[in-house]
Formats: sequence, C-alpha cells, structure tokens
Amino acid sequence: MDQLWAALEATWRILLVGLVLGAGLPALFALGVRSLAWGSGIEAGDQANVTVLKPHLVGRIIAYVLFAIVISAVLAGVGYIVAHGLGYSVTFNGLVPTFSHK
Amino acid sequence: MTSEFLLLSLVVVTALAFDFTNGFHDTANAMATSIATKALSPKAAVTLSAILNLVGAFLSVEVAITVTNSVIKIQDSSGAVTPSLTADGGHALLVILMAALAGAIIWNILTWLWGLPSSSSHALFGGLVGATVASLGWGGVKWWGSDGHLDGVLGKVVLPALISPAVAIVVALVGTRLVFAITRGVAQRYQEAGFRWGQIGTASLLSLSHGTNDAQKTMGVITLALIATNPTMPTDEIPLWVKFACAMAIASGTYIGGWRIIRTMGKGLVEVLSPQGMAAESSSAAVILTSSQMGFPLSTTHVCTGSIIGSGLGRTGATVRWGVAGRMVGAWMITLPSAALVAAALWWIGHLLGDGLGDLAIFAALVGAALFMWWRSRRDPINPSNVNDEWDDGKPAQAEPVREAV
Repeated sequence: MDQLWAALEATWRILLVGLVLGAGLPALFALGVRSLAWGSGIEAGDQANVTVLKPHLVGRIIAYVLFAIVISAVLAGVGYIVAHGLGYSVTFNGLVPTFSHK
Repeated sequence: MTSEFLLLSLVVVTALAFDFTNGFHDTANAMATSIATKALSPKAAVTLSAILNLVGAFLSVEVAITVTNSVIKIQDSSGAVTPSLTADGGHALLVILMAALAGAIIWNILTWLWGLPSSSSHALFGGLVGATVASLGWGGVKWWGSDGHLDGVLGKVVLPALISPAVAIVVALVGTRLVFAITRGVAQRYQEAGFRWGQIGTASLLSLSHGTNDAQKTMGVITLALIATNPTMPTDEIPLWVKFACAMAIASGTYIGGWRIIRTMGKGLVEVLSPQGMAAESSSAAVILTSSQMGFPLSTTHVCTGSIIGSGLGRTGATVRWGVAGRMVGAWMITLPSAALVAAALWWIGHLLGDGLGDLAIFAALVGAALFMWWRSRRDPINPSNVNDEWDDGKPAQAEPVREAV
C-alpha cells in the first residue's frame, strides 16, 4: 500500500511540473509563431486564401523573445541531462538551479 | 581458453546485442513524430538521434552497477554480488545474466516484428526475474520496496507503467489544445514551418536523454559479469572499453532505426501534424526529465506513446486508432512476464545440458530465434521508403524489398 501512495505522491508533482513545462512551453512557442506571422505580414487565411497584411516590427520582436525563452528552456534541459550524467545532482531553489556533486 | 572465459565473452556479446535492440526499439520514441510530419527526413532523423545517443552514452560518467537491484536480490547496495553465485568462478551468475539478456532480446525483436513499441527496460527486468526465479526460486525476486521508497517489480515496473502514460496523455492533450487555440487562423503553411523547428529541438532533447539513461543499463550488466569472474574488480568503476562498446552498440542500433515501430507510432496511432508533434515531444521531454529528477522510474516508451495519444485527443478532427493503442497496451502488460518466461525456459535448457554445452545452447537458441524473426520480417518490410505510407486498416503497407531495410 505504501508503494501506491509513494507513486501517487510522485504522480501529481510530475503532472504539475509536466503541465507547466510540457504544455506551457509549446504554448509560448505557439504564441511566438503567431507573433511572427503577424510581424511578417501574414496573419490570416488558409493555404488557398492567404490575406497579406502589413508587416509589424513589434510582432517580430515579441516572436524572437518568445523563441529565445523556449530555446533557453531546451538548453536548460540539455544542461540538466549533462549534469546528471556527470554525476551532479541539481536542486532548484526557486528558479535558480544549484549543482552539487552526488 | 577456459569455459568461464568463453561464457563471459558470450554474455558480453549478448549484452551488447541487447543494447543494440534497445537502440532500434527506441528510435521511434524520439523521432517517430518528426519523421511523420516530415520535420526531418527518415535518414536525417535516425542519424541525428544516433549521434545524440552516442554523446549521451559517453556523458554517463557516474554509472551505477546496481541495475539488477531494482527487481532481483543478487547484489547488495554497494554492488557486490551474493557470494554463492560467484563461488564457481561466477558461472552461476553468468548463466542467469545470459538467460535474462537472451529473454529480453527475443521479446524486443518479437515486438519489433509486430511493430509495437514496448519498454526495453521492462524486457530486461523481465528476463532478470525469469532467470532468477528459475535458478534461485521465487525468494530471489524483489516484489516491492519498503519505507515508501518505490522499488521492486511493483514500484519500478507495474505502477510506473500504469501512471506514466496517463500523465503524458494529460500533458500532451493540454499542450495540443493550447497550441491549436493560439495559432488558430495563422496560415497553415506558416504553422507547419515554425513547429517543425520546435520538433527538431525537442526530439534532440529526447535522444540525448535516452543515450544517458539506457546505455548505462547495459554498462552496468557487463560490469557485473566482469565482477562475477573477477571479484577483485572495483564495483564503482566502469571499464572504458565497456563504456565505449555500449555507446557504439546503442548508437548503431538507433541508426539502423526500428522502422516498423516508427511507422506504428508516427502513422498508426494518430495522424500527426507539426504542432501536435511538438506538443507531444515537449510533453514527453518534460515528463521524463521531471520524473528523473524525482527518482520516479518510468519507461520512455510508455511516456512517448501516451504523449502521441494525448496529442491526438487534443486536436479537433484527429482520431486516435484505439485498436492500435489497445494492442500496444496489451504488449506492455505482457512484456515482463513474457521476457521472464523465455529467460526461465532458456535457463532450464542451459541447466539441463550442463556447463559449457548449456551455455552454448542458450546462445544458439537466441541466435536462431533472432534470425527466424528477421527472416519473417522480410515478408512485409518497412523501411525509410514506405515508413510514411498511408496507414491501411492496421496492416503494414507492402513495398518492394530493399536491402538495408530493418
């Protein structure tokens, strides 16, 4: 029985963090795609019927900021994998990762 | 050449063969959706994944050799092997490892033949359980952990297999909903191009993580075999050649590409569009890395399959082929017992024929089974040229046989 509780205890945490990172980051990326489309002057329409609008610089800037956030999250993931492989454990105080040797 | 050295060599070869099957069985986890949405060409996808697996395997500097401790009781927590198993020059332990690995490989190749993604770690654990029960009895198996610590068959295999796909389905479903809601109205061509880049990034993350996690299981098993024949070897160090050989085995397996499984995951479960693919892969990466941080032992295969199903549920208009999903879940449920049965049977064959001849018989049975299943796969080959063909009633598409097809 304690095994089941231990598993459920882990489950809701994984679900919570998973939702923030696993669903939140693609959502940010989607916002980036949308901003870039607006910034580049294509906002609406499907393949057959694309309405070309005026390009907006702001849209492009927002898009690249959002892409930068997503890319840094992916790089943080890489950093995490590398640190683990090299035998470091990573703890998070708030949002700042702290590395310590196992 | 002593019979122990011959057996040790066979165990090492078999372990590397397992690592190879582990590689091609899991290419689909990272790359199936990228191949299906044409974010990457099939060849480019397996090449990228293989390189990242190789890098990942070499990053595994701190490798635990206590991999068997998850499900059986033949080592203590420091890695030292139960003395009775190493008494006769390690023969008893080597035969257990040999039968366990052979059982795991046979199950891996069979599920590949069926085009079903199943967990390589569960197959390995199943093999270890089967061979241990055959040689030491039921008491040799660790069924569950203690003190609220997830361990044993229940805590490391059964519960994670139930929980991880469910979590992945939810995360991918929410992610896919959000992504499609946010980009509604943006030209589809624009969407596809943007999300393909996102897919390549997340797929790379998954491949790297796979290399660090899975290659080290085989490194642990080979080092355990070496310790069995040479008890003076340190239990906290992996010889460099072992690391090198395992990294090469898993990377070449990945490069060969398990096209049958890639096809099922990329085309069979749901029709995947780029935004869905990125949502599915982000969900997998987030769930896998979070679990690894919390020490929750899940299987990458289950998470990735769950994410793809979730991405199908999240997109309006997409249908999940529940028949295909059901066959997968069926395969997951019988992975551990099946690998265990094969391993136990092989151990008995080896035991009845006695030292030397018995060891060779296990190896011969493995080679025979592998060759038969490979020959059987030639009837409906799946390869880079037809991996993305339209899915037809759950039957793999027919194509002209191509030599390099796997």
